Amino acid sequence: MYNVAEVNAEACVAQKGCRLCIMYCPEANCIQLDTQKMKAVIVESRCKGCELCVVVCDAAKHNAIKMVAR
Amino acid sequence: MANRIQINKEFVDIMPQDYLDLVENGTFESPNRGWKDFGTATELIAEHSLCAGCPESIAFRHIMASIPNPEDTVMVGSTGCTSLVFPMIAVHNIHSLFGNQNAIATGLKRALAVRFPDRVKDVIVLAGDGATVDIGLDMTLQSWFRKERFTTICFDNELYANTGGQESGLMQKGFLAKMAPVGKRFDKVRLPEIARESGCDYVAIMTASKPSLVEKVIKQAVLIAREVGPTYIQIYTPCILEIGKQSMEGLQEMRTSEAPGERFKFREFISPEAQSFLDGLAEKKKAEKIAATT
Repeated sequence: MYNVAEVNAEACVAQKGCRLCIMYCPEANCIQLDTQKMKAVIVESRCKGCELCVVVCDAAKHNAIKMVAR
Repeated sequence: MANRIQINKEFVDIMPQDYLDLVENGTFESPNRGWKDFGTATELIAEHSLCAGCPESIAFRHIMASIPNPEDTVMVGSTGCTSLVFPMIAVHNIHSLFGNQNAIATGLKRALAVRFPDRVKDVIVLAGDGATVDIGLDMTLQSWFRKERFTTICFDNELYANTGGQESGLMQKGFLAKMAPVGKRFDKVRLPEIARESGCDYVAIMTASKPSLVEKVIKQAVLIAREVGPTYIQIYTPCILEIGKQSMEGLQEMRTSEAPGERFKFREFISPEAQSFLDGLAEKKKAEKIAATT
């Protein structure tokens, strides 16, 4: 079992200019911005499961990312 | 000089997808590159093998997004966790002998100036604190005394993380590490002050917790190194494994260490020559903005 991040698109506020998870993810090209829907998208094959995105998202009270088992 | 980064049409079908992405969607030759490209453009670093949540990889991402001229930049690395990342970046780089990085960068910078007299070539040294302060202090200081024009970046994790946590010169006094069980008896080496006295024209000490600040500092340092003299940046990238933190606690650790009065509170030193150079750049930018709006 391996934990990866998952974005809840309804709670994600990337359309308002939030880039917190994209900014602080330690992995390059791992959290991408879907420029059509303006939501953050996780590239699961690159996610190492460190939970930093969850920490910054929760600290900003968006609570849009949670860890799921794969 | 536009559009120098291209693929030979004959080879398009056999090139790896990552390579194609970099050429088509990368930020080479983009004049305003920075952390704002994250998420939409392909980054110059990919699939490195650092630990999950490593603050060093956050710093590496911010730096790779900020260097002003990646297609004409050569980075010099040294032994340590950074040498795990260098094979994964899309910028020319040299791996030096442990501690030798500033001597190699010196020769490289001079050779590039002879080989490409009409082109701007940046050299950036990026090494850990062991290579910069302990093993390579001789080479580091001598390159500053000679006023060699390149940027030295030190990833300061305050110990030898790669080999299990031995004491390093930049470790704080009294700190207990796995392989330094009695605690360090001396103060942290004050390399930023030494750099200032040794002839660096720009010195900054910071953490990697604010991408906009990292971007500003890296751009200033590279541009000053190009025109004025040597520059030095010390970035706190804590080793979460060695200081006993979880993977998601690295960011908070950096934020705590840069609070007012703490050892990594943002400080910078700009020499008068470098300041007048920066003022000139700002004025030029202002004039361009006014010209664009009218």
